[in-house]
Amino acid sequence: MAVAHAGDIAGHGHSHGPVRSEPRSPWLHGSWLRAIWVSFLFAFIAIGISAFIRYLLGFPLHGAEMQEVAATFGLTFWAIGFTVGIGCFDYWWGYIIGSPNWVQEDHSAHGAYSWRDYFKVNTDHKVIGIQYLVLTFIFFMIGGALAEGVRAELASPGTQYFSPGTYNGLFSAHATLMIFLFVIPSFAGIANFVVPLMLGAQDMAFPRLNALSFWLLLPGGLIFLASFAVGPFAAGWTNYAPLSVHAPIGDTFFTIGVQFAGASSIATAVNFLVTIVTMRAPGMSFWRMPLLVWANLATSSLVVLGTPFIAGSQFMVLYDRVMHTHFFDPATGGNVILYQHIFWFYSHPAVYIMMLPGFGIISEIISIHSRKPIFGYRLIAFSTVAIGVLGFTVWAHHMFVSGMAPWLRIPMMATTMLIAVPTGIKIFSWVATLWDGVIHLTTAMLFALGFIFTFVIGGLSGIFLAVLPVDINVSDTYFVVAHIHYVLFGGSVFTIYAGLYHWFPKMTGRMYDERLGRLHFWLTFVAFNATFMPMHWLGLQGMPRRVADYDPRFATLNFIISIFAFVLGASTLVFLYNVIHSWARGPIAPANPWRALTLEWQVSSPPPIFNFDEPPQVVGGPYEYGVPGARHAIVTVHEPDPQFAGVATATAVAGSTPQREALLTAMKHILVVANQTVAGDALIDAVRQRAGAEPVRVTVICPQNDPGGDWVTDDRQVAQATRERLDQTLAKLHEVGVEATGEVVDRDPYTAVMDQVESSDPPAEIIISTLPQTRSGWLRRDLVERVRHDAKIPVEHVVVDVHSNPAAGA
Amino acid sequence: MTSIAAAHDMPAPEERAHVSAYHKSLLQSPVFLGMVMFIGSEIMLFGSFFTAYFYIRFSHGEYPFGGFEIPKATTGINTAILVFSSFTMHWALVSASRGRRLGLILGLGLTLLLGLTFLGLQMREYHALGFVPSDGAFPTTFFALTGLHGLHVFVGATLLSIAFLRACRGKYDPDNHLGLEVTGLYWHFVDVVWIFLYTVVYLL
Repeated sequence: MAVAHAGDIAGHGHSHGPVRSEPRSPWLHGSWLRAIWVSFLFAFIAIGISAFIRYLLGFPLHGAEMQEVAATFGLTFWAIGFTVGIGCFDYWWGYIIGSPNWVQEDHSAHGAYSWRDYFKVNTDHKVIGIQYLVLTFIFFMIGGALAEGVRAELASPGTQYFSPGTYNGLFSAHATLMIFLFVIPSFAGIANFVVPLMLGAQDMAFPRLNALSFWLLLPGGLIFLASFAVGPFAAGWTNYAPLSVHAPIGDTFFTIGVQFAGASSIATAVNFLVTIVTMRAPGMSFWRMPLLVWANLATSSLVVLGTPFIAGSQFMVLYDRVMHTHFFDPATGGNVILYQHIFWFYSHPAVYIMMLPGFGIISEIISIHSRKPIFGYRLIAFSTVAIGVLGFTVWAHHMFVSGMAPWLRIPMMATTMLIAVPTGIKIFSWVATLWDGVIHLTTAMLFALGFIFTFVIGGLSGIFLAVLPVDINVSDTYFVVAHIHYVLFGGSVFTIYAGLYHWFPKMTGRMYDERLGRLHFWLTFVAFNATFMPMHWLGLQGMPRRVADYDPRFATLNFIISIFAFVLGASTLVFLYNVIHSWARGPIAPANPWRALTLEWQVSSPPPIFNFDEPPQVVGGPYEYGVPGARHAIVTVHEPDPQFAGVATATAVAGSTPQREALLTAMKHILVVANQTVAGDALIDAVRQRAGAEPVRVTVICPQNDPGGDWVTDDRQVAQATRERLDQTLAKLHEVGVEATGEVVDRDPYTAVMDQVESSDPPAEIIISTLPQTRSGWLRRDLVERVRHDAKIPVEHVVVDVHSNPAAGA
Repeated sequence: MTSIAAAHDMPAPEERAHVSAYHKSLLQSPVFLGMVMFIGSEIMLFGSFFTAYFYIRFSHGEYPFGGFEIPKATTGINTAILVFSSFTMHWALVSASRGRRLGLILGLGLTLLLGLTFLGLQMREYHALGFVPSDGAFPTTFFALTGLHGLHVFVGATLLSIAFLRACRGKYDPDNHLGLEVTGLYWHFVDVVWIFLYTVVYLL
């Protein structure tokens, strides 16, 4: 059964015409308005209850302690209230209370029909993917602006624009936003869009959880930003105890924000794992999965197992701050190093969480744009998993100078260097894929090649840092800053750009401007290297990181770095212009502009709402470029029916003379609205009763589409079946002597009815025929009530049970 | 969860056949598998707190360090209550899969009651301990671990209440009680964590 979107090429619902909005109060139903009042209500209730409990226990209701408590509970419940208000829990709430309107397979929040749908809770993985990418890019711009602030301050020695405290806040928020709200979730965004398509699935395993994951991210990010209102958190994104424990209240904002960003990524990761395990199309064995899917499998495992540790570490900091516990206080038996162990046990795997999906993207792009099978498919997949496993055994290399147990140093150094092996396998595999390939230098490919260049440099400085004697020398200097940016910007951000350019045609249905894309690449590439390469020298000469001021002998290099940092920032604007302009005006993209084999390119751009008309049959590997006769999958796409493009009419009124027209006008005009139940006996009886009282003529409409609801049928067989039912009805009506015409209408029922009411030949009465309450999609959306309210003419509702009425089901 | 059904006025049974093809690669139901993954994540969250606990514990000679006392015997009774609740949960599940409505409701109700009793006794224990979290490193880890577990019991009890409500409304039948199974899985997890916690923190 096809569920293909009516406008395969035109994309997200431009073919439906205007859809009347349902009369629902935005105060009470999932909306931004409800999100605002519910979130603040939750926050005030939480603060009120905590204050009441403090009052009962005899604690003071003012002072720093009360502020901490209020911030903790207020922020937590504000964020929860936001997700409740926006509508993430409506479905589950219906399930819990056993609401009669609750339906098992409710897809009413699925798919985007206008740009407004991107601002609502949506369960379509493609919509969520784009929501993720747009939101994270906004945070990328904010984080970038903070970094430019840092560079402005560092352009010359001394204190110019920011106090040292604000400066600490700038770099802390910069790192936090970039890590938790840009790199990690934007990979989730790309994967959200691409992975279900690549698997041949209709959606993720848990679409509603998917939506919740996205909507948890926004309050998390806003909490980070809100900290600037009370004095930003300034202990770095690492938030080391005991510094963080004794920091001002802004630090509480950090600990709470991390919990929401973390919960979001855990939920997404569980979703990806279950999707990859259970939702693969027939024939899609693990060894036929594209490498991006492999990368997400490994990444998601890391998130599920690792992220709880950062949650734990921030809970402990929060407890130490708010409840005055003693996790990290040696004077009462706690331990300071403990924080770093727990923190880095997540945060080292986190760098692979931020890198493995990028590796997956690069594997796709290198193979597709050099028209060659990927070199060493299985080894790349294995090395991805190996990096995931090894990633949990290296955390203490961040702590070589922390005063941790000395015996841990050598093992951690060894495992760290061991990670270079699987990483090297990937690099060499990509280079071997390029070897002798037909390389197409699209922007995506340029970024992929640029990534290999910068990531090798970052990887090599990583080896330097793994070596104990070197690390002790360059610890906490700009050498580390250079390294982290070479792997996180030169690594992750380059791969995100590559992925965005590569899948831009698929996501938007438009082509981007290659010329602007190339300009963006070269600006970014040159400015990036000019910004971060000199930091290696600064670090080796001993310039410490995270300090607002520095020795005047570093001034020249820092000035050059700052200039190029601004160029790097400006290069983002080229990208932004390209994306916005191409999205609105770019040339229409073909389904498969790169002639790729993977499944996401075998459907239209953008893909139809449920991705595939039929489950694809996977028959081979995903990278068999240049191999004669090789296929990855057989995808059946149902051709749109040209007959059904407009309005199909089945008329039973033969001929049209003036006398006849006049006769018809004198008769009472009755509009019958029905679809599945159109030939039901109850419906025929209702019409016959009216025909017995006065002369009537009947217009029967069978609305097919339901954009306000969930999915769209334009399948030929369905339309044909409806037309047959309609003809049957018209024939029956003629048997009982009623003049009747009819149409199968390509509209949602409400719009179809209202169009008739407002036409030049309005009906005097409307009969709406539906299935019984439990099975009727129309009733669930209050069709009868809405028509009764809006049409202001008599509306009769006839219930027809198809199963008990074989005539109707024919 | 993702199959497409007709919210349209058009039941289309053949759709189901197609949708199931998407789940060919599936041995376990997605919801069950999702819960298993989530529990894996939860184990790691407990893991981070146990890391803190062991790290601090092994940097001290005596135990409980700092001269604090915790009641082994009364908490043992509480442990027995929680362990017993796992059996009543199992009874409820078996009843559901055999279509015995009374056993289902009774089993769920008992489980919920036992869970709440556990929480109540835990509160009482906190009250009677004579020390608070800010009194030192041992109270810190003790309250953090038992508190985290208590929170999970609370979440489990919430899930149980939902299951209980739905069971009373007759929403479960032998072929369709996945929500119940998932709740049961979570409840057993909470139970197993407590057995480990009690052994490590109270007994050893």
